[in-house]
Amino acid sequence: MTFLTTPAGWAKVLTGRAGALGADPADLDAAVKAGAFEGLKKAVRDGATLTTATVGEANLGGRTGAGHSAADKWRAVANSPVSQRYVIANGYGADPSVHTDAALLAADPYAVIEGLAIAAFATGATDAILVVRGEDAAAVSRLEGAVGAAEEAGLLGDDACGSGYRITVTVRGLQGSYMLGEQTSLIRALEGKRAQPDQVPPYPTERGLFDKPTLVHGVQTLAAVPWIVREGADAYRKAGANGAAGTMLVQLRGPQGGVAEVPMGTPLRELVTLAGGKPDAVKAVLVGGSTGGFVPASALDTPFEAGALKAAGATIGSGSVTLVDQRACVVDLARLLTRFAADSACGKSIPCRIGLRRLSEIGDRIAAGNPRAGDANLMTDLAHDIAASGLCDHERLATLAFTSAMTHFRDEVDAHLLRSQCPAGVCMPIAMGAGSQGSR
Amino acid sequence: MADLIERTDAPIERNREVRPDTPAVFDTVTPREDSLAERLITTQSPQRPQSTPRIRLEVDGRVIEGFEGQTILEVCRDNGIEIPTLCYEPKLPGFGACRMCVVEVEGEAVPPISCSRNAEAGMKVQTQTDELRRIRRTNLELIFSDHNAYCLPPCQNKCPSHIDIPGFLKANAEANWRESVRIFKRTIPFPSVLGRVCPAPCEEHCRRDEVDEAIAIRDSHRYAGDQVLRAMRDEGVEPPLPFERQAPSGRRAAVIGSGPAGMSAAYYLLLAGHDVTVFEKDPAPGGMLRYGIPQYRLPKVEVLEADYEAVTRLGGKVQCNSELGRDFSLDDLQNQGFDSVLVAIGCYDTNKLGIPDEDADGVIDGLDYLRTATLGLPYPGHDKARVVVVGGGFSAMDCVRTSVRQGSPEVTLVYRRDMKDMPAASEVHEALEEGVQAIFQAGPTRVIKGASGKVEGIEFIRMQLGEPDASGRRRPEPAPGTEFTIPCDRVLLAIGQGPDLRWIGGGSSGVTATRNKRLQADAVTFETARPGVFAAGDVRIGAATVVQAIAEGRRAAYAVDAYLKGNDLSAIRTRQTLAEPQPEFLSIVPFTGEVKEPRYRLKALELEVARTNYIEYEIPYTRDEAIAESTRCLQCTCEAIGFCDLRRLGIEYGTTLRTLDKGFHQGAGYRSVTENRFTGVNHDYVRDDSHAFILREPARCIDCGRCANVCSEVVGAACYDFMRTGFDTLVTTPLDMSLNDTPCVSCGRCAETCPTGALMPKPRILQKYEVDESRCILCGICVDACPYDAVRDSDQFELAHVSREEPLIDLLALASVERETEMSYIRRERDWAERARAEGRLIDQGRMLPVLPASLTHER
Repeated sequence: MTFLTTPAGWAKVLTGRAGALGADPADLDAAVKAGAFEGLKKAVRDGATLTTATVGEANLGGRTGAGHSAADKWRAVANSPVSQRYVIANGYGADPSVHTDAALLAADPYAVIEGLAIAAFATGATDAILVVRGEDAAAVSRLEGAVGAAEEAGLLGDDACGSGYRITVTVRGLQGSYMLGEQTSLIRALEGKRAQPDQVPPYPTERGLFDKPTLVHGVQTLAAVPWIVREGADAYRKAGANGAAGTMLVQLRGPQGGVAEVPMGTPLRELVTLAGGKPDAVKAVLVGGSTGGFVPASALDTPFEAGALKAAGATIGSGSVTLVDQRACVVDLARLLTRFAADSACGKSIPCRIGLRRLSEIGDRIAAGNPRAGDANLMTDLAHDIAASGLCDHERLATLAFTSAMTHFRDEVDAHLLRSQCPAGVCMPIAMGAGSQGSR
Repeated sequence: MADLIERTDAPIERNREVRPDTPAVFDTVTPREDSLAERLITTQSPQRPQSTPRIRLEVDGRVIEGFEGQTILEVCRDNGIEIPTLCYEPKLPGFGACRMCVVEVEGEAVPPISCSRNAEAGMKVQTQTDELRRIRRTNLELIFSDHNAYCLPPCQNKCPSHIDIPGFLKANAEANWRESVRIFKRTIPFPSVLGRVCPAPCEEHCRRDEVDEAIAIRDSHRYAGDQVLRAMRDEGVEPPLPFERQAPSGRRAAVIGSGPAGMSAAYYLLLAGHDVTVFEKDPAPGGMLRYGIPQYRLPKVEVLEADYEAVTRLGGKVQCNSELGRDFSLDDLQNQGFDSVLVAIGCYDTNKLGIPDEDADGVIDGLDYLRTATLGLPYPGHDKARVVVVGGGFSAMDCVRTSVRQGSPEVTLVYRRDMKDMPAASEVHEALEEGVQAIFQAGPTRVIKGASGKVEGIEFIRMQLGEPDASGRRRPEPAPGTEFTIPCDRVLLAIGQGPDLRWIGGGSSGVTATRNKRLQADAVTFETARPGVFAAGDVRIGAATVVQAIAEGRRAAYAVDAYLKGNDLSAIRTRQTLAEPQPEFLSIVPFTGEVKEPRYRLKALELEVARTNYIEYEIPYTRDEAIAESTRCLQCTCEAIGFCDLRRLGIEYGTTLRTLDKGFHQGAGYRSVTENRFTGVNHDYVRDDSHAFILREPARCIDCGRCANVCSEVVGAACYDFMRTGFDTLVTTPLDMSLNDTPCVSCGRCAETCPTGALMPKPRILQKYEVDESRCILCGICVDACPYDAVRDSDQFELAHVSREEPLIDLLALASVERETEMSYIRRERDWAERARAEGRLIDQGRMLPVLPASLTHER
């Protein structure tokens, strides 16, 4: 898998080595030649505390805006009185339209494995688990081969890199469930249970896999760790733009979409251009995947960064940026997205199981041209209550499609609600009604 | 002969269909005697070592103490602060599915859920803010939008007095008329009267209608009531009492008006132990029942007086010929030592048409006419008069049908709305059959007066339908140029009545009238502006049906009883709400497997006989017919009604009911709320009764996961789990298989933990085991092993048998019992009686009344 070519000057933290690895990225010798496991060796030399401090200084954080920096989580696990600890790399890539995790694992598996090993070393974890899609058998065996090769080379295993410390990495393929993107769901699934989230707090760092302290990171976060250890915290911070730290793989969907490594904080306008779109021609950008929100064309200067996106009514989510042009109807898109989120919910909590479905039903009514009185307020109220009483981020973020549509595209929603018109001509019953409007 | 009425001219003999008298067996469920609250108390806080450090936190402004490691919920419940939960199982860690136990913690943006959040010292917690209540309400509403089940059956919901209809029909089906009447009398003291004059709103909503036809509910209780009256008349058997009569309270209550509202209030006040005197302005008690409803619909002696004997047999005094304002005032009553006065004087002031020459000779107040006619006296000159009756209510029907019986050659009914909007639409066909002309959508414009001052005709104008008004019916508006005249000799006005309130003032001051000229009184506590004076029935809500008046009277009796016992009336408000709920939900699982068996209809007298005769025109059921009709009842009530947490919270959070809003029903208060904001697609699931002990009703499942968690974590069997995804998620067995095919050990823990009626213990008819106490070694194994707590430790003996023979709560003790609804009581007691019968225990037929535990009878 190749990555989109990004403008010169954009840092390549995650994809920098991909080109040097040659035909088989899982070839350990080539990878080591390109610098793999240098980070782990440095971390072993630096010791756990200094490594954690470096990661903290780099401001490596929960990318989805959960607000917990990686170093805080590492310290929480490391300081736990319980000796049995786990580190989990989530490479499941739950969003079916986003291939960033798979791309990274294919292009540079050792970056993830090394990052996982550093995290395990720094937190004193006894087990490190790399979770991937079970149905991609080739990827599982490739990763297992990579881990085996690293163990054989003494880079992992009983005496990893000569540290005297035992780091065992196992690769686990899990069965499909959209909810596996959520860390507590992932933990339940690893325990062999139904993938349903648990209430946090207590966070997994306190009570995670089998109730033991557990560190869960996405594979991208872990892949950045060796680079940070190698290049230093300052370099990582500078890799970002507009004051944000680091980079991220983004799934761009547009005329020339693909996966690109993007500095955090890059304005959305540049991402639109990168995806082959014209900033003047787009109507909105759907940021965050199926549980994301719409950012209108007027706000394309919003930096791609958790805080700013949250303020704009969107989220980093699965790291997807989708261009929406004038042909698309925001109401129609929002109801489809909400319905997808409702259908892929685990069904544990009531606001999620019933509330999201009802939200999409309200959208259906609006799109079909037969809204009930007060549906606009009902939608806003319901979205607010779901977000306020939600169990996990899935249901909270799933309301973004409609709330951002209501915030930024109120005119378009009102055209459906009040005048039975679909300006984009997408919602069929209304579009036809609008055609006969003159005779009424 | 099942008929109460002496029929001199025996009607034509008919061949009656003979239907098999099949005794019905219905599934009911043994209620759990240990209430949720009790279980919470016993299992809430696991024993913690004494050394656990104590922490203090502030909840709702109160500083409370808990142990470190406890959740917020545990600390609150230990300290008596209620936080609602649905998915929380005290034996297990918090699950977090229902989102009901959200609380606000100072300094946290997102409200955490208290079942899985540990309490910390110094925490400031709010449990009942507006925001939290709104979130909980939304969640409940979402649950209800996919909760394809009933609490009360719709018939009971729609009955203004909420009679336990499945209950008395079941007793009927077993030919236990006495028990049937006893159940009926819990909410309405006069089954035979209502069996004749009730418009039966219940039948319009009967679910049997989806199979074939609605049950003849009214005719069924009429039959049962008649059997009891006959036994009383012929054999001197006392009619059954719904509750044990309480010890004399020494309080005196006055009831003004002996109509349905007044007499039902008197009945329940007498049962509550008060000394009741009923004042009646007319020479005989009955009010509208006696003077407004003709003999052919309600026989006065055989039925009305016989049913009213229930009041006098309890010691109620009726003082006739005493009219408020004429013979006494409110001051007089209170000076005579009456501690409370209930005004239930009804509506006797006929409305005026407000058209020219309305006072012409021959224009008669319909009520005056009926008053004479119901006494069986011919109204002078009526046998030759052409009669026009204006109005569409039951009084109008009584006027036309009585006129026919009095020999009027031409009787015309004129109503300004459409036939389907007529309040008495059900009776109009019978009137038409008897020869009445009916003209709809026409309103009177003037009376045509002859030279002698006598009426010669009346001019009408055609009405067209305009916009719907507050009652939902389209408002009639005159269509100009469509006037027409009906020549006639008599005009009877039956266009509705209002109460006569001219007695207010003087010695009866302090009470006030509303803008609509009704007596001002609270919809729940029935208090007027004058302390100690209450008002109920038509005088408060305007002319309504008999059953509404009786419901008013009964509810007013609770309020008066509470007042006489010195209880806080504002607290009654909540309890009345709990006692009168009408949660109503979505579409219903359609019936498919039921055998069709159409309704057994009452036969009527032949037309030529009925037209000339005041004998009751409907011929009652035979015994077989009555049993067969009652057997048709589908018993669609929820078995878990008294135990359901969802229902309790739904009522508490107002998602199912907005009763106390005075805006509805012109202040009558009660309104069922059918509109759920989130109504949409919902699931229908099939009941699974394949297991011997556990009944599964997935339509009632709220997916809280408690059964799944208890089954896997506590029992270890793991029969259930969340299945499917998204909106279709359901907690069920793998492949929805029968519990028989799972590792189920039949322990019943799942049914015990289920907060709704989705999992219920089935009734079990087993051998009764004997315990030889002389051989008992007090090992306690039975205590440990019994999943239902049938054998427990107690303070007097190390082992004691818990008696389930007596239900715990009495309806009239409602005022002293929190959170127990009337229905739960009724159901419990009914099941108790059933069990007792099934086990062949002796039930004293004369006193089928549970004795109240001493703890509940004491006065506060």
